[in-house]
Amino acid sequence: MTATHCPYCALQCGISLEGSGADTTLSGRDFETNGGALCRKGFSAASLLAHPQRVTTPMLRQTDGSFTGVDWDTALDLIAHKALSIRAESGADAVAMFGSGSLTNEKAYQLGKFARLALGSSRIDYNGRFCMSSAAAGSNKAFGLDRGLPFPLADLDTAGMILMLGSNVADTMPPFVRHLETVRERGGLVVVDPRRSATAKLSADGAGWHLQPTPSTDLQLLLGLAHVVITESLADIDYLAARTTGLDSLRSSVASWWPERTAKVTGVPADQIRHTARALAAAAKAAKNGGNPVYILTGRGIEQHANGTDTVTAAINLALLLGLPGTTAGGYGTITGQGNGQGGREHGQKCDQLPGYRKIDDPQHRAHVAKVWGVDPEIIPGPGTPAVQLLNSLGTEGGARMLMVHGANPVISAPDANQIIAALRRLDFLVVSDFFFSETAAEANLVLPVLQWAEEEGTMTNLEGRILRRRAAMEAPGEAKSELWIFAQLAQRLGAAGTFSPDAAEVFAELKLASAGGIADYSGVSYEQLDAGAKIYWPCPESSEVSTDPEARNGTPRLFLDSFAHPDGKAKIIAVYAPNKVPSKQISLVTGRLLEHYQSGAQTRRVEELATAAPEAALEIHPSTALAHQISEGQMVEVSNQRGTTIARARLSTDMRLDTVFLPFHYANTGTANLLTDPSVDPFSKMPEFKHAHVSLNPIKGES
Amino acid sequence: MKRPEQIVIIGFGPVAASLVEGLLPAVTAGQCELTVISAEEHLAYNRVLLAELAIGAAQLDHLNMVDAPRLEAAGVKILLGAQATGVDRARRRVIIGNHEPVAYDRLVFATGARAMIPSLNGLNFDPHADTALPDSVFALRTVDDANKLQHHLTAGDRILILGGGILGIEAALAIAASGGSPVLVHHGAAPLGRVVDSDGGALLTRCLKEAGVEVISQVKATGITKDENGFAALTTSTHGQIPGGALLISTGVRARTELAEGCGLAVGRGIKTNQFLCADTEARIYALGDCAEVDGQAPVGLLAPGWAQASWLAAHLSSPTDIPAADFSASDVLMLKGQGIEVAAAGDVSAGFWDNPELQATVFADPSAGRYLKVVTRDSVVTGFLSIGLPQTSAELTLAYERGTPLPEDRSTLLRLDDPAVSDLGTAIPSDEDQLCRCSGATYGQVAHAVGEGCTTVAQVGESCRAGTGCGGCKSKIEEMLKKAPALA
Repeated sequence: MTATHCPYCALQCGISLEGSGADTTLSGRDFETNGGALCRKGFSAASLLAHPQRVTTPMLRQTDGSFTGVDWDTALDLIAHKALSIRAESGADAVAMFGSGSLTNEKAYQLGKFARLALGSSRIDYNGRFCMSSAAAGSNKAFGLDRGLPFPLADLDTAGMILMLGSNVADTMPPFVRHLETVRERGGLVVVDPRRSATAKLSADGAGWHLQPTPSTDLQLLLGLAHVVITESLADIDYLAARTTGLDSLRSSVASWWPERTAKVTGVPADQIRHTARALAAAAKAAKNGGNPVYILTGRGIEQHANGTDTVTAAINLALLLGLPGTTAGGYGTITGQGNGQGGREHGQKCDQLPGYRKIDDPQHRAHVAKVWGVDPEIIPGPGTPAVQLLNSLGTEGGARMLMVHGANPVISAPDANQIIAALRRLDFLVVSDFFFSETAAEANLVLPVLQWAEEEGTMTNLEGRILRRRAAMEAPGEAKSELWIFAQLAQRLGAAGTFSPDAAEVFAELKLASAGGIADYSGVSYEQLDAGAKIYWPCPESSEVSTDPEARNGTPRLFLDSFAHPDGKAKIIAVYAPNKVPSKQISLVTGRLLEHYQSGAQTRRVEELATAAPEAALEIHPSTALAHQISEGQMVEVSNQRGTTIARARLSTDMRLDTVFLPFHYANTGTANLLTDPSVDPFSKMPEFKHAHVSLNPIKGES
Repeated sequence: MKRPEQIVIIGFGPVAASLVEGLLPAVTAGQCELTVISAEEHLAYNRVLLAELAIGAAQLDHLNMVDAPRLEAAGVKILLGAQATGVDRARRRVIIGNHEPVAYDRLVFATGARAMIPSLNGLNFDPHADTALPDSVFALRTVDDANKLQHHLTAGDRILILGGGILGIEAALAIAASGGSPVLVHHGAAPLGRVVDSDGGALLTRCLKEAGVEVISQVKATGITKDENGFAALTTSTHGQIPGGALLISTGVRARTELAEGCGLAVGRGIKTNQFLCADTEARIYALGDCAEVDGQAPVGLLAPGWAQASWLAAHLSSPTDIPAADFSASDVLMLKGQGIEVAAAGDVSAGFWDNPELQATVFADPSAGRYLKVVTRDSVVTGFLSIGLPQTSAELTLAYERGTPLPEDRSTLLRLDDPAVSDLGTAIPSDEDQLCRCSGATYGQVAHAVGEGCTTVAQVGESCRAGTGCGGCKSKIEEMLKKAPALA
């Protein structure tokens, strides 16, 4: 029996594996985030290990477009040859890498090191740009540090009130809902979502309430809530004076968002806004007098916008007004999505970042990492370009000519998919490492077979900043290899400076040194302690005493209790402003996830049980809106805008607003929701506008 | 490189503040230089909250709408206490009483409005001066006014509010909420005059009375009576003397246009502009907000149209290319602020059922529950609505009205938005194929089978068919099925 964690989301539920290959038995394991529970995705994850569609040998595209198996030496020699010749012709930045928040910490770290030392390229970014970047930017600005939940998830178990904005955990990470039981019994779960989502329904029957704003008005709603807290003198003035700076600017920025004005823009009635703000303030006050804590949590729904960072900042400002962050009375947190969405954003996959959450343009940070790598700091490239720009510039003047993709499927997951496919097709050479022929792999020149979760060693960092061990329970089929091995082989062929170990434990030992003294300091963490069950949350400096007592929380389970991570120790309140929007007559499209599928669906669409339950994209639409467009239940609908057309089957539901339709983004070909999404990006986080696009709807005659 | 354009704004109320905000990126980018000239010593403040300020529900520093250090750091010049006395259009500069002239390439009038003081015996009346009013007679436009109101509230005075518009109603409600004695005096059949129909108006009057506001309708005021404390009573030709300790005048506003008139701009009910907010033929001078008559539309005294104009003008002044004119007329939605009465209205609801075949009227009335809805549409697009006691309906109608989007064919959908039962999940009897557990996909049939096979706990059912092993949300349903199961012998 091997104790490990689910391959999918950032909850990283504990699971146990027995047997191997097609005879693997998977069961829930008693772990703090899931308490033994699993969702449908987790339960069925083992069915992908010995899946017939698995890529088991390097596959090279032939001139006729088909793929033929080749041996590893051929594949690796070809990559090295292409990389070197393209670099010689067009410079080192002509070879780029694209990583993932699904990779282990070790692989994420090595990916960043490989790009900078072996390729000498600044062009590296990852799919976390599409996931956590706005929340990360907001937290970094306000607190000086970004850890999704700056407190253990289990702290939510005692909550008196939780304001959850733009997160649908009941579908995306169902066992999370177990941590909401108490707050629901106390009537304190408030969900903000333009859909009456499964999570919004958890607030029914007296468990709380649901605010249902029109899409893309979350910032205004938050400004309205802050307005009530300020004008009704409900803010925690003592806390604000002692622990924050910037209150004066905030006052003037929310003065014009009184509840009725906010209602006109958001569609949330003014009294609900007042009621929510007053309830939050009362609960926060009670929490500080020994009552139950109060939390504000955000998800991708409010973050994946071209103003996502400002919206996160507004959510944090509300939490600061209530006096919550950095206290035991509650706090602010963002619910990380991808399995290693937390660790993946700490160790150098980001275009502007080095391991330990260090900055690539800070000379001291560069010197530290260069020393660990045994290289001259001068040879580490400077900041690269963030994901959307990186991808859209492929094959253009000054853009990369060769791309290596690891653990990502941007054909499905990036905005404005038609542009992404065109960009990939402009490349001279595309290498995709995956265990399936994903839609992105199908565009590749060369596909490298890699290990799945149950076949590899490493660490993951979950949504609460806790470091976990992923353990190998079996051998990989065929010739599949770890990315660590691939990087080691390629580094040698490319004559890279520094060393590239193929062994996860050795890479982790190096990651510890590279992160030492950084914001995300892992230097006091060891595989041995993790294997013995130690609960360790970063930062965990080398000097930390780590206990393997299952009750003990090691490292820093709760951040900011003494001070925030800015030099003055205070949290920064940063006033944000909402633009006056021109009303649009068009229907709003929001995109999101289903319970049955994970991310681009490259894995879950291949699980028979999940594919049967949710086989194709369904367009959720209000019956009245459907009637107005002559759409009936089950009919195929063309959802279009200037960027593209997606075809989906109508599913009528009064859970939708009249002005909004919903599409899940897990599907391929004409069902790809991201054909419609807007590649405009946030000025701070470079997050694209995934969660709102205007569309028109046309039923397809005769098809139902 | 091109010299940055000099933009000068006269006036620093909420609309000017919004315009400055919109222009800030262009200022930061060095595209333009911005100067704001304000006669007041105060920075822009939110006059919507003046009643709250007077009753002590908000503090003065909550009203400030401008983060001056931030604007100044971006390079905006703010001249406070600077009275613009003239505009020299030939030399393109603004003459200021106590300051050197300020040159402009583009000039924006945001001079706002002053309270309109009705012609009543005993009130000195000059439409173009900030009239010296008798003691205890005031409008509610400035912080000083709020202080006066507060003084009378503290003294426990009965306060007459003259004018049945939204601002008068909001002031009356705020006074009532603070325990005062407001009397709303107005000349129409019901408050809110033109935007309510007779049934809606009757319900609104009743709601106001229930909230503690005395309402006297169809009053024709002729003058005021004074005693040694100032105001003593309102003299009327319809209701005799209506006594009170103070008179709050809320009979609308009059655009401040004298500066514009003085430099030869056309003035009607405001500074006349075309649909592009342009007040001259050379596209150098603009006007917006309460001082502007945009494309023949008189200013309405609400902030929303001014803000919509500010947003458009900021885009226009920052954009190198022409942008299309916007329609600002949809921003006339009234939403009564706070105090437990939920009223929203917009446009024209006077159409009857049979008046005009092009206009469809829909009415829902449940007066005993305090609910009333009238919606008038043309081709399913809202041209006017009045909604009382239906907050979600109001919010959605507002969006549909401002966007010009069609309403659902079945108008009763709008009412169901406020249906408390709507969020309850279905009570239909589930079939065996229906999903019981979302997380595992286990059906009622599978759980029934597990129970039939002898499972007696939720955990055993979970081991058998995985139901209840995800989020845990269906545990109670499984428990129910376990309870119903016949006990095994």
